[in-house]
Amino acid sequence: MPGLLTPSNDTSSSIIPYSSDSTTPTVYTLNHNLKPPTTPRLSISWSRGNSLRVTVFRSPVTTDNEPGGKVVELNLSGEDVDSDIEINNAARWRRIVYGSVSPFAHLQNKKNALAALDEFRRSVSHDGDWSKYVLQYSKEINSLLGSKKSSPTPLIEDPKTVLKVEEPSSLKAAWELLEIFYADKQSHPWIPEQLVDWLSDYDVLFSGQVPSVHLKLVEFQAELINIQEVENEPTYWQAISSALAVGWLDIVVKLLRLHGSYQLNQLGTRETENGLVEAVAVLVSKMPRMRADLPLGKLGECYNNKSDFMRAWEKWRAQITKLDCSAFWLQCSHNQTKENLKNLLQILLGNTSTVSSATCHWVELYIAHFLYIRPFTSGLESMYVLAQKCIQLKPISTPHKLMRLILGILEENTEVVLAECSRSFGPWMIAHATELLTAGSVEAEILLKEERDNLGGISIEESHRLVYAQVLSSHALTWQIAPIYLISCMKHGVGLLEILLYKQPAYHSQVLLKNIEICRMYDLDSVSSTAMKIAGVHHWKHGRKGAGVFWLQQARDEVRLNRIAQKLFDFVGKSISDESFEQWEGLIELLGSESKTVGGLEFLHKYRDFKKSLQQVQDGVFTDAARKAGEALILLMKNPSTPQRFWLPLLYDSLKLLNWRERPLLNVSQTNMLLNKLQELSVARLRPDFVEAGLPPEALSSVRVALATNLGRAILEE
Amino acid sequence: MEPEPQTTQTNLHILPQSSYIDSLRFLPPISAFSRHIAVASFNSDTSIPSLTLHSLTTTPTLTPITSFTPSSRITSLKTTQSLIAASTVTGSVHILFPNLINGTFESEVNVPDNVLHSGRVSGLDVLESGGECVSVGEDGRVNVISVGEDGRVDYRKVFDGKGLVSFTAVKWASQMEFVTGGFGNCVQWWDVRRAGGPVSQFKGNWAQGATSGIIHSIDIHPSRKHTCLAGGSYGTVFAWDLRRPQQPIVLSGIDNGETAACISESDVWEVHYDTFMSASDHAKLSSKGVLPAMICSEDGILAVLKQGEEPTELLAENCAINCFDIDPHNPSDVICGLEWESIALLTRA
Repeated sequence: MPGLLTPSNDTSSSIIPYSSDSTTPTVYTLNHNLKPPTTPRLSISWSRGNSLRVTVFRSPVTTDNEPGGKVVELNLSGEDVDSDIEINNAARWRRIVYGSVSPFAHLQNKKNALAALDEFRRSVSHDGDWSKYVLQYSKEINSLLGSKKSSPTPLIEDPKTVLKVEEPSSLKAAWELLEIFYADKQSHPWIPEQLVDWLSDYDVLFSGQVPSVHLKLVEFQAELINIQEVENEPTYWQAISSALAVGWLDIVVKLLRLHGSYQLNQLGTRETENGLVEAVAVLVSKMPRMRADLPLGKLGECYNNKSDFMRAWEKWRAQITKLDCSAFWLQCSHNQTKENLKNLLQILLGNTSTVSSATCHWVELYIAHFLYIRPFTSGLESMYVLAQKCIQLKPISTPHKLMRLILGILEENTEVVLAECSRSFGPWMIAHATELLTAGSVEAEILLKEERDNLGGISIEESHRLVYAQVLSSHALTWQIAPIYLISCMKHGVGLLEILLYKQPAYHSQVLLKNIEICRMYDLDSVSSTAMKIAGVHHWKHGRKGAGVFWLQQARDEVRLNRIAQKLFDFVGKSISDESFEQWEGLIELLGSESKTVGGLEFLHKYRDFKKSLQQVQDGVFTDAARKAGEALILLMKNPSTPQRFWLPLLYDSLKLLNWRERPLLNVSQTNMLLNKLQELSVARLRPDFVEAGLPPEALSSVRVALATNLGRAILEE
Repeated sequence: MEPEPQTTQTNLHILPQSSYIDSLRFLPPISAFSRHIAVASFNSDTSIPSLTLHSLTTTPTLTPITSFTPSSRITSLKTTQSLIAASTVTGSVHILFPNLINGTFESEVNVPDNVLHSGRVSGLDVLESGGECVSVGEDGRVNVISVGEDGRVDYRKVFDGKGLVSFTAVKWASQMEFVTGGFGNCVQWWDVRRAGGPVSQFKGNWAQGATSGIIHSIDIHPSRKHTCLAGGSYGTVFAWDLRRPQQPIVLSGIDNGETAACISESDVWEVHYDTFMSASDHAKLSSKGVLPAMICSEDGILAVLKQGEEPTELLAENCAINCFDIDPHNPSDVICGLEWESIALLTRA
């Protein structure tokens, strides 16, 4: 697999991460009574999903109930994938799998439709229409990964609730990063602001591994209930400056208004102090921001045009500087308030060291740079340089997977991005993210779509889809989805689809019907007819003759139907002359009368008709019925599909017809034909493979006599 | 006469579950605001089948109340005023008596594997009045199970096809008669008073040359006991009138140049007469025609078919719709079991 085997420092010896402490593997014992010596054997095979089955087979050392072998089932999965709670939950994970089918298939259809047009050249990625489709695809997938902050705001908001507790998924965080950089071309001028939003949604994800502003705020919120005068607490001011540094302006303003000077009983004595706090709060909430719009509840003033923004930015900074130099500070008696407010102004003015001490890890520092120091940064190259600078200021020994992904994107290194997606987020992510990557740049598109000899002639894109399809195939509820991904693989897709379909248990009726349906959709007639044959033989072997015949008929399997016919005739010979005719009705009805599809079985249909009319003759004396029965007999005897072994029983059954009292029912030529058949039968009897019908010994002679008599009467009549 | 619009205003809610839905049924309501449904599901992670009672609120949400573990996966599920009957792939039949006020199963009767059928019981139906339950299987057996007031069960074999035929669906027509369906689009009419075989049978081979199919589901309207509605492979839906046994009325499917529309080319998994009707529908009803029928299909379609009219599509999903049920007391509401582990609740306006 491409890009998967990157050696990492921590797990240098294992290719697939396997932590033995996560779950105890299932162990089955094998008991056998084979006598030694038996050669010990070891076999390894894939079980369902990511489970690997290791079987050890050996002879017991002692005989006291020691098992002769063991089967161990190990669950292998990527460490990161496994540790994610949201992925661990299989049902929730399948919901994502199901939901992504439609956007993926829709995008492939669009791609094929565009490819069919002549105008569609290699410049797909620059086509406006195409990027619109890709963005739509990205948004649809994104919405599957979790709702975007849609939790309803409580009617009475608790003034002391600073943060809402939510658990976003790192998968969604990663997908949004890819969307920002590769899919959402329209919003490219606002990438820095998009990253600000991104961090405010997902900073919580870093908390598990490194200290973060989010963590700081959560801790402060827990303390808040017990604090009487917040402005005296250093943690209060730290929380405010950290929130300000990463641009969570609404939180900053909310916290500032908890300041003691707002309390009614203190307003008179702390008027200047309160004025300063409010001035800072207003400045914060008026911060100019270069973006199209702001979601409800977020603060700042939007400018979507660079020159307007620049003017507003300069004006805003001038106001800050003015406040910084104001004489009111001297009148402020509360020392902590004075110092910390000044500190906040330093952040707003972009003081590098203040910003650095207010943030926790390099991504936060990076965001702070965008907000207060270099709001005009654009272009991936300069963004990458800035990121490097931030990492130097706040180094991390083992970077978080999202940090690695951000760096890969900024570095414009598609291979790193691919490897990160694959390593941290698994086959689903990479199979779906390639669509965004190829839309992102021509280089990435060439890299992903180029056919490679080391991958067996397929492209990286195809190989990832095949891997994902393989994952889908291994689960009973998702294998039906795999064909949609396989069919989008030009080189090996159809071949693997056929293998997948052949591997399904065709004897399971629901699976068989699903199989046939998939074959119908992708024109795989030979595969479905094979499945029907397997099902037919299975049913036949298990005594369900009707179902067996039905499926073999559907598969138009003449050879097997003919073989089956011979076996059925054995049954018929024994049972149909009994009164158990009703049982056969259903099967004979199923066979129908068309000779083409049923092999030799059409005989049964005619035989049934003959038997019916013969029965009517026996019930009463009706010459008309007898004449019909005679005709049916001639038809049967003439028909080449009537097996030879039935000739004598048929004639013996119709003795009554041959000896019909009122008049001969058969004419001369008909009687001659029957006599010839009888002659043929006598010759055939000499052959060793002849099957004797279980009739009384005088049967042949009595038929012969009856025919001879009939011949005589017929000649006289004519 | 102005043309009838073919759209129906609907309100759809998809409720994700965490197991595969095999079948679902509405239960009789205990009050105007409290509705319950029975869901047969299969958890493929643990390989445990279950039959769960859910209460359905107007929000809408489904809340599991109580659950029962059948011996294996449920193939067919039926509910009446007093009981829930379920058949399984391994040949057992379970009859449960729910108490919706307490949210429990009061008692249960189980007929173990291989007593009634060897192998898969493919169809099951209970008389609306309770008591008699008919089951059919791939082994070709037809059994009638009587459930007494005291919870005692008694069963008798009506027919043993010995595997020469297989049945795939069954539905009571009256106290004494029922209809079965099987391979080759065969439909059989039975009378429990007449042993030994079906009273009448019909083979749907109008699709000459084309491949023949399997009947997956049968419904019979209580007011028209002589006509049965059947749905099966290749989008086939037809009505079979016992009084005109050789002339089926094809509502959908590959037909010999007839005018029936083909709503789907995939398997039709379930058919029910649609009891939800507007005033104009009532006016158009004649005693001759086939009543409106609702179907669900492998290619994700839930639709209403009316004789001689274009079908009305209610849902077009990306995955198969395996089963559905119309609320008998509030026929505007339909629940569907979707292949992708979810239940859809549809309300028609």
